[in-house]
Amino acid sequence: MNAIVLSGIWGVVMMFAGLFLKSSKQIQWTALLGIIALLVVSILDYQAHSVQAQTYFGMMTIDVYTSWFSILITACCAMYLLIFHKDIAAVGKNEAEYFALIFFVMCGVYLLASYSNLLILFLGIEILSIPQYILAGSDKENIKSNEASLKYFLMGAFSTGLLLMGMTLIYGATGSFDITSEKFVGQFEQLSSMSSLSFVGILLLLISFGFKVSAAPLHLWTPDVYDGSPTAFTPFMATIVKVSVFVAFIRLFHFSFGNVSDAWQIAIASMIVLTLIIGNVTAVYQQSLKRMMAYSSIAQAGFMLFSIFAVNSTLAYKGILLYSVVYSLASIGVFAVIIKMKDYTYDGFNGLAKKQPVLAFTATVCLLSLVGIPLTGGFFAKYFVLSAVVEQGKYIWIVVFAVLMAAISAYYYFRVIRSMYFKTGEAAMHTEPTTWDKTLLILNAMIILLLGVLPSLVFG
Amino acid sequence: MNIYQITFWILSLFTLAFAIGVIMSRNPINSVLFLILTFFCISGHYVLMNAQFLAIVNIIVYAGAIMVLFLFVIMLMNLNSDTEPQKNFLVQFAGVVSGGALLLIMVAAIKSSLTGLEGKNIDLINSTDIGLIKNLGTVLFTTYVFPFEIASVLFLSAMVGAVVLGKKDSALKTAE
Amino acid sequence: MLNLVWLVPLFPLIGFIITGLGRNHLGKASGWIASLAILASFVVSALIFIELKTLPEDIAEHTTGSHVVHLFNFINTHAMQIAFDFQIDALSSIFLLVITGIGFLIHIYSISYMSHDEGFGKFFAYLNLFVFSMLLLVLGANYLILFIGWEGVGLCSYLLIGFWYKNIAYTDAAKKAFIMNRIGDLGFLIGMFLLYSKCNALDFKSIENMMPTLMNDPSYITAVALCFFIGATGKSAQIPLFTWLPDAMAGPTPVSALIHAATMVTAGVYMIARSNFLYSVAPIAQQVILIIGLATALLAATIATQQNDIKKVLAYSTVSQLGFMFMALGVGAYTAAIFHVITHAFFKALLFLGSGSVIHAVDGEQDIRNMGGLKKYMKITYITFFIGCIAIAGIPPLSGFFSKDEIMMHIFTHGTNGKIFWILGMLAAMMTAYYMFRLLFITFHGTYRGKGHPHESPALMTMPLIVLAALSIVGGFIGIPEVFGGHHALNAFLEPILLKSQALQTSIYELSHQNEILLMGVAVFIACIGITMAWFGFKKYNAADTTKGIAKFAEDKWYIDELYDKVIVKPLFGISKWIEKIIEKAGIDGIVNGVGRLIQVGSTKIRLLQSGLVGFYLFMFVLGIILLFALQMWLVKF
Repeated sequence: MNAIVLSGIWGVVMMFAGLFLKSSKQIQWTALLGIIALLVVSILDYQAHSVQAQTYFGMMTIDVYTSWFSILITACCAMYLLIFHKDIAAVGKNEAEYFALIFFVMCGVYLLASYSNLLILFLGIEILSIPQYILAGSDKENIKSNEASLKYFLMGAFSTGLLLMGMTLIYGATGSFDITSEKFVGQFEQLSSMSSLSFVGILLLLISFGFKVSAAPLHLWTPDVYDGSPTAFTPFMATIVKVSVFVAFIRLFHFSFGNVSDAWQIAIASMIVLTLIIGNVTAVYQQSLKRMMAYSSIAQAGFMLFSIFAVNSTLAYKGILLYSVVYSLASIGVFAVIIKMKDYTYDGFNGLAKKQPVLAFTATVCLLSLVGIPLTGGFFAKYFVLSAVVEQGKYIWIVVFAVLMAAISAYYYFRVIRSMYFKTGEAAMHTEPTTWDKTLLILNAMIILLLGVLPSLVFG
Repeated sequence: MNIYQITFWILSLFTLAFAIGVIMSRNPINSVLFLILTFFCISGHYVLMNAQFLAIVNIIVYAGAIMVLFLFVIMLMNLNSDTEPQKNFLVQFAGVVSGGALLLIMVAAIKSSLTGLEGKNIDLINSTDIGLIKNLGTVLFTTYVFPFEIASVLFLSAMVGAVVLGKKDSALKTAE
Repeated sequence: MLNLVWLVPLFPLIGFIITGLGRNHLGKASGWIASLAILASFVVSALIFIELKTLPEDIAEHTTGSHVVHLFNFINTHAMQIAFDFQIDALSSIFLLVITGIGFLIHIYSISYMSHDEGFGKFFAYLNLFVFSMLLLVLGANYLILFIGWEGVGLCSYLLIGFWYKNIAYTDAAKKAFIMNRIGDLGFLIGMFLLYSKCNALDFKSIENMMPTLMNDPSYITAVALCFFIGATGKSAQIPLFTWLPDAMAGPTPVSALIHAATMVTAGVYMIARSNFLYSVAPIAQQVILIIGLATALLAATIATQQNDIKKVLAYSTVSQLGFMFMALGVGAYTAAIFHVITHAFFKALLFLGSGSVIHAVDGEQDIRNMGGLKKYMKITYITFFIGCIAIAGIPPLSGFFSKDEIMMHIFTHGTNGKIFWILGMLAAMMTAYYMFRLLFITFHGTYRGKGHPHESPALMTMPLIVLAALSIVGGFIGIPEVFGGHHALNAFLEPILLKSQALQTSIYELSHQNEILLMGVAVFIACIGITMAWFGFKKYNAADTTKGIAKFAEDKWYIDELYDKVIVKPLFGISKWIEKIIEKAGIDGIVNGVGRLIQVGSTKIRLLQSGLVGFYLFMFVLGIILLFALQMWLVKF
């Protein structure tokens, strides 16, 4: 709870920092201070809630799981800010505001992690989305950035409409927004007693969530937005924001709609299949690494959807935690290398291993983790979500399909490694990495490798 | 069928008609005017549901403030039916078909709820007085105080965003 | 002390790490560090042995004399749990002593022997790693730990055979050893899988306790036992996988002594003795072992009579002696087999080190035709080598006599065909005496035929020879047969671990004392015949003589290598070529490339969805909603 308050306040602090602090360095340091404070506060929150779940205002229920997730996601965000703070400041003139918006997003993240009321869910998703629309368009000189912002906003507004409509229908059926209330729980106890209003409502919520996590066929905004946004913000949107939507997703669909899973599992299964095909197959064609990563984020979302699909499996809960952390860190690691490059195409990476062995190595670790090679965290992440489905016992064929798709993903990830290590070229740099950058990237890679050996570290 | 129900159906009919008008009219100004009319009809619905406060707010904020803003923008940009890009017939047809299909599938999904609807007597008035300004205020500052406060973060971020997008980078550069 | 057993393999491991990392910096010190590590292990092993021996009777009986020390959980999943445990009992403690004791002597010897080699540090790192793996092998409380050690020693053997890797023939020999061992290991692995599939455990104790229920399925037990035996034929160089051992002589001589004579090759014997509970109820498997052991003993002995490379003779002799051990296992005489392992370790290590001393003296020459008369130049080596020869030939009261005699007694009394096996075994024993003394006479007697001036080896090399010679003389006294009024100490010591299998099948021979002494007399007489034949044949040796007829056949090793090449290697290559051309190039590559191309084409098509138009995106959005709704409603009637 304190984390929510602090993130909101720190957003305001950042606004004032922009007003009073003249040096860009100072602003960056304020932001870093903020995220560290946020991390500390979320750890304190965790200790306060580790014994017993607590409900605030009948709107939020914070328990061990959500507060633990808050710590993890804050840590990922801290890693993001530590690596990217200079690049964020370099996007435009309003650096303090960018940081402020990021803190507002974090506020939304905490809301999504622990809501127990559909109103908060809605507010959380909006607090998450609106700053993103802005961040996507923050590079005002760049027409692609403007386009990304507008597209994201228009499509996002559409999906918000669906979200609201879904909530309205569910409210119509249950008469309550509170997902812990008797009326609400009673409605979703079994399929036969569920109203068809709820059925439509659930599907609309599913579609709206699917949009936010860029699941096919609602993914079309993703490549344009991720590609068009300033490279400093793309990793933020693709990782921290996305995985927190997943946690909100799993909370609602397992906690509330778990007993009526027959009413939505087919829809999500078809989403998974489409997402995996489209994400992986289209990524093969891409020439730009940034755009490839956008498709990769779609494909990875397909894997994370498995944890939603595997209803009431503890493996799914664990899997989404691990997947969130590993996927976030790996994507951040790859983007951290991309942003240092002048040319985002594959050819632009030719010969990077000779020129910047540290960057090439850390990028390789991250890419291997994204493929899911053993000894990297990505392996266990995939293993957990897929075994959750196997444990559940329904639709095993999707797992086989997913493994095939993971094999395809190896193609485009390894292509990067091939460019870096086995091709000769200039690998022109946009900015030279400092020792600090390299240290962070190695730390990042080490965490990924560590999680490949001891995945239980993220289970709290 | 009592007076309230008659009013409800009439209002609904008008709402839909005006809404169709919004998307059908070639001239943006006409669209906006239709939209204002739609809002008025919706406010009528609010009144029917004994939510006078919401009705007034709806008119003041949406029909008044926002729509006036829209009109200004449209006039400043000098948009009219001539500048509207011509959509070809196929696209329009596809849009209509997909929209119709969406409607169909939604109706199909909730049709079981619709059957038996006639039997239910929808009590449109006096069912609740939550929409009254006093009750609304009480609820807003007791039960729903948390979302109310959280909404401020949402608006704050939207404001910050508006400033970020609105401020001119190049102007700042010259000032330095 | 027993709980500190992990110290035993730890010292060589530390030694390996130190010498391995400092191989380019430590210089000569690495030899001493490595030796010290083994010495430390030896001391701990000795303490463990003493404690084990002096344990109160009742406790020993209660736990059947074995102690399991739990270190950590090795595999810990829901379905499979295997602990990293060490088991200390009579069997493993004896092996600990033999490995660390002889290992230490050979390390000391190597310091001098390898002193001019540029890979000095690397050599000792490998040796320490080998000792570590070997200790793991004998200490493991389940088949998996045993297998880790099993693979570890295989790897070290490979590394050490190919130690002088610049010589292509040597690396080929290393590869041959590794591949042959892998064939055996496959059998071992399958055996383990079979065992696990039914028992859900791999540790010796659980499986031993499960035997009464498993006995209901004799074909299953026989299958497991035979699979393990295939593993043993690889590691312990039995027919058909024995051809790697003579080639393994490409490695440095101390390696041949330690790995390919004293310790690693006896791993198969150890493993079967360890699995005695399994083999005692698988008579068919035992019969197979007996026959293979006998055939190996005979075949290798005939080849050994005609070899001219000093190390090759010893190598074939090792194969032959291993055959004897397997014969003992085949008749269920586990104690006798272990006894022979111990004595063989003493005298064969001695002989190998002696041969190393000779090779050292004549500047790397290994062909005995270019030696002769070395008696004059190197007294200590000659005397110790001579002791080794009479020990292996089976002349009382040296160690070889007691152990070999015990094996022959067991065979003699085994079943109806025991006497035939005994006669054939005696034939092999006679050949043993013959080829050993042939080697001795050609090498040390007569006149020197080589170049240069042979010289006695330094003290660092002769000291281990003397110690081993002493052990070869007295080593037999741990198992004096009762007919001489002795108390078979080894038998008493090993009894607890064989209790279960002895209850199932008795392997104690019963012979009247008269007959026993008569048989012993015959054995000694036969050995003497072998020696005499060698004396008359090679008293005056002419190196120019060429061998003819059956002797030529034996000299060329029965053409078994050529046979394997024709029957297995060549056809395999043919099949591989065919697979490469047809299945690999056309089939798999075709499919893979086809799929790849399909995905690329698909990628270019799906990409077209990404038109960039928001209107189109929203259109697709709506279509997506319709699709999801339709699928959900169609597939789950609501």
